[in-house]
Amino acid sequence: MRRKRRPSSLAARLAWLIVMGLSVLFFCVPVVWLLLAPTKTDGQIVRDNPFSFGSLGAVADAWHHLYAFQDGAIITWLLNSALYTFGALAITLVTSIPAGYALALTRFIGRRMLLTITMLVMLMPTAAMVLPLYLGMNAVHLDGTIWSVILPFSFFPFGVYLTYIYFSSNVPSDLLAAARIDGCSEWQVFRLIAMPLAKPVIALVGFFNFVGNWNNFFLPFVMLPDSSQYPAQVGLNNLLAASPLFNTSSGAGNQIMRPELALATLVTIVPVLIVFLFSQRALVSGMLAGATKE
Amino acid sequence: MNDDVPVSSRRRLRHTAVAVLGAVSLLALAACGSADPTPPATSSPAAFKPVAQQQGSEITVWADATRVPGVQAYQKAHPNVKIKIVTYSGDANGANDLQAKVQLFDRTGSGWPDVAFSANVNDGTWASQGKTPYAAPVNRDIIPKTTLDGFSDGALDPCVFNGNTYCLRNDLAQNVLWYNKSLMDKFGYKVPTTWEEYQALGEKVAEEHPGYLVGTAGDAWTPEVYFWASQCTASTTTGARKVTVNLQDPKCTRMAKLLDTLIAKGSVSKDTVFSAGFIKNQASKVLMLPGPSWFGQVLFNSTFKIPKGQIAAASPLKFEGDAKNYTGNVGGGLWFVSSHSKNLKAAADLVTWMTTSDAYQGTAGTYPAYKKAAVTWLANQKKTGYFAEDVSPVFKESAELIWPGWSATQYSQEAIYSSTVVPALNSGKTLTDTLDTWQTAITNKAKSLGYTVN
Amino acid sequence: MTTHLATERSGRRGGRSARNPVGRAGYVFVSGYVLLLLAFGVLPTCYAVWLALSNSRNQLVGLGNFTRTFTDYRFGPAFLHIGLYLVVWLASLMILVVLLSLMLHGRMRRTSTTLRFLFYLPGALAGVASVLLFLILLDPAASPVGWLLKSFGWNTLAQVNAPGHLPVLFTVIAFWTGAGGWIVVMYGALNSIPDEILEAARIDGASTLQIALRIQIPMITKWIAYMLILAFAAGTQLFVEPQLVSLASWGMIPDSWSPNQLSYQYAFQAGDFNGAAALSVDLLILGLACAALVVFRTGLFDRDEG
Repeated sequence: MRRKRRPSSLAARLAWLIVMGLSVLFFCVPVVWLLLAPTKTDGQIVRDNPFSFGSLGAVADAWHHLYAFQDGAIITWLLNSALYTFGALAITLVTSIPAGYALALTRFIGRRMLLTITMLVMLMPTAAMVLPLYLGMNAVHLDGTIWSVILPFSFFPFGVYLTYIYFSSNVPSDLLAAARIDGCSEWQVFRLIAMPLAKPVIALVGFFNFVGNWNNFFLPFVMLPDSSQYPAQVGLNNLLAASPLFNTSSGAGNQIMRPELALATLVTIVPVLIVFLFSQRALVSGMLAGATKE
Repeated sequence: MNDDVPVSSRRRLRHTAVAVLGAVSLLALAACGSADPTPPATSSPAAFKPVAQQQGSEITVWADATRVPGVQAYQKAHPNVKIKIVTYSGDANGANDLQAKVQLFDRTGSGWPDVAFSANVNDGTWASQGKTPYAAPVNRDIIPKTTLDGFSDGALDPCVFNGNTYCLRNDLAQNVLWYNKSLMDKFGYKVPTTWEEYQALGEKVAEEHPGYLVGTAGDAWTPEVYFWASQCTASTTTGARKVTVNLQDPKCTRMAKLLDTLIAKGSVSKDTVFSAGFIKNQASKVLMLPGPSWFGQVLFNSTFKIPKGQIAAASPLKFEGDAKNYTGNVGGGLWFVSSHSKNLKAAADLVTWMTTSDAYQGTAGTYPAYKKAAVTWLANQKKTGYFAEDVSPVFKESAELIWPGWSATQYSQEAIYSSTVVPALNSGKTLTDTLDTWQTAITNKAKSLGYTVN
Repeated sequence: MTTHLATERSGRRGGRSARNPVGRAGYVFVSGYVLLLLAFGVLPTCYAVWLALSNSRNQLVGLGNFTRTFTDYRFGPAFLHIGLYLVVWLASLMILVVLLSLMLHGRMRRTSTTLRFLFYLPGALAGVASVLLFLILLDPAASPVGWLLKSFGWNTLAQVNAPGHLPVLFTVIAFWTGAGGWIVVMYGALNSIPDEILEAARIDGASTLQIALRIQIPMITKWIAYMLILAFAAGTQLFVEPQLVSLASWGMIPDSWSPNQLSYQYAFQAGDFNGAAALSVDLLILGLACAALVVFRTGLFDRDEG
């Protein structure tokens, strides 16, 4: 579908290559280092060339140490994170996609006010919301339950805006008008016309919601009273705090050093990368479908 | 395309502006209370009244990952005590997770852990304050006096406020003079006993063996290692929420000058011992290093990977004019019993076991604050055979030499030093030049937390 | 482009009722979101504003908390820091994200997909997970980019973290973790511009640059505006980057470097939730001012293409 656009001159092509090359270096060099880190011992990480490869045996060692931390707590953290983020993801998609659609393509009294309030709430610093949210959860006796994390995670104004902008700039309202004239109900218009066109924005919203929640530290930290409920980020924080690198009172003999921390980091970002790859696919194919709309 | 937008929005903007201005001026007039945050009510000794006790009820214990195995061992030894263990950061590395959570619990009136461990030695300052302090005064019929008396002299100082003891100390981090015996022998140097000798040796090292180090000034705990030992009045509390900060005192300036001289010569580094650069390039060149007792295993053995039989510890240094040598202390964990606990008996028993039992403290990673446990611990250290000489006499001696004029404060001296003084040192200023800036930083921070500074 | 707009116009004049039915359907579609918005957005915000206007004894104090926090010795430096940071951060984000998206757009699909993935990679590393990375990355002696740091004359961790470098340092970190996500969004936006328009322009002899400036950028204004608002708000609320670097440098960054950190210090170190809320409201007002400016300038809220 997309034709390769030929840069007008050799200089333009060269400039493209240089900019992209530098960008790739900028974004990837630290990641490559991180990938290599668990293959080395702690001493090698500090003393050897940053880009040297250690051994696969070292990865296994690092994993054993990591797994031994609190008897496999890392697995519990990942499962908890999955529960919270996917739970929130489902509620987010069910609420924010129709909302963004309605804000963009239907008219109702209070539409502008809703947009304004959404914007206002989005700009409120999250640190200020912690105490009110905590008190609120306590008032309705949800504190300490998984809902105290999932429900606030599901509130995703950013996604409503993405959907709103997407629909308002990509889906011609004439298309919907035609469907209405043909006798489609509002629900049918949404389901049969809007939804198929919305695939890319669903992918975007889902992805950003997932990543934001997966990486959220503060809310679960505040809400959850029990370490068996911790998600990966809170768990990682404990892991850091247990490492002699950061906790001088942890004493000798603690096995959590740089390779273990690097491995823990890599393990916790794998789900994010998988979700990214999936949503990218939807994004690209969806955009192509969108491009043929007229 | 949208030429109608600017006009209408401008009008709307004007309306909004008028409304906002009106609201603001109304608010400015509407004040009917003082905006001052409640001055923290200091707990009077008579104030503590336990909540209704429920014998045998479950207790919740918060500890860091390092301490949790100890709690589990207690649980195993006492199977009929119901314990819920929660792992948290333990407030390590300057975190204030416990305080943050307790603030929230205070708001809702529930959720406090019955027992909490904190790796932050300053946590007693807030835990003993407020309308209902989080920490229970354990000296008031919770833990017997005989137990409290078994701790090293001064070990409970960071727990004592208004004559009450609000926590038990887990470990001590008394400073000693670490040195590399093999290197000292090789160079033919004698271990100094005074700061003057230390400075002379530092200058000599710089000339005879450039690159070798006798200390570091870029660590967060530099104030506790050098200035505390010099009896500098950087953090002397003189009453409830009253603190004296005077860095121009001769006892402060003498240490600043000493360090400045050695930094200029190159035998004291401006780096921190845990930075990768230091570990990579300087670790094997550490000849001497004043520092806490945990440096031995944590720093020299695990981090620097200095082979067995090289590292030894000497007594803290003294200034020639002083009658006695003093030392400082870098951290050390605390155990709290909650004043809200419904089972103070179980909570107190657990805390006592964690801090005093040979079974746990004897093999812990850091020097026990409880004297009897420390004896067992030192015997175990000897068995590792890591040190070139037995560290026991030096550790025992220095545990009792901590200068009492340096108090725990709600703010962290370490955070102030590393964010104010370390950048200044690295921009080429001397410590002596920086003392005023440093003083201002401490004073400002103390005042912002409701301290009176003089 | 003109024909496209012409149909929009005629459509507007024609069947407004059919296109934009005023009805209950809209309410049904937004109902779920509105519930969440009220519970987790509006109510907490109102409570936070109330906190900012009252004291711990629940008495209204007007602007007392604002004047009190304003005179705090950390207030000025924190807002100055954030001001410097915002200048660097917004400029680099707007220019580089749009530039990179334009350069990626229209390339061979596989190349551009791979590049977007590579650019996004660090985004997955947000939060606590990246502390270890910065611990090594910022220490010239062990850093994979040590040669670069040394070429600036920075040989130790402390030199890298010198106070004057911090706004740029945080920008680099924020850009590194955040730009990839925005590039994906912008790429998506560019992709939704009908090919015919670009093709027509190209036939008319427009250069790549002209197409970018006259067609592509104007057609993704809404997205850029949205990015600007969020990046501004996120910039004023900077919290994570200074915390991470502070952790990775054993405290070389002041604990109240940014206003949001200061607010955290008020709440959880001093136990002063009212002062903390006042600072947050300051940030909210800043964010709103920027948003209002952008919304009115770009017509972000207008349903029809602006």
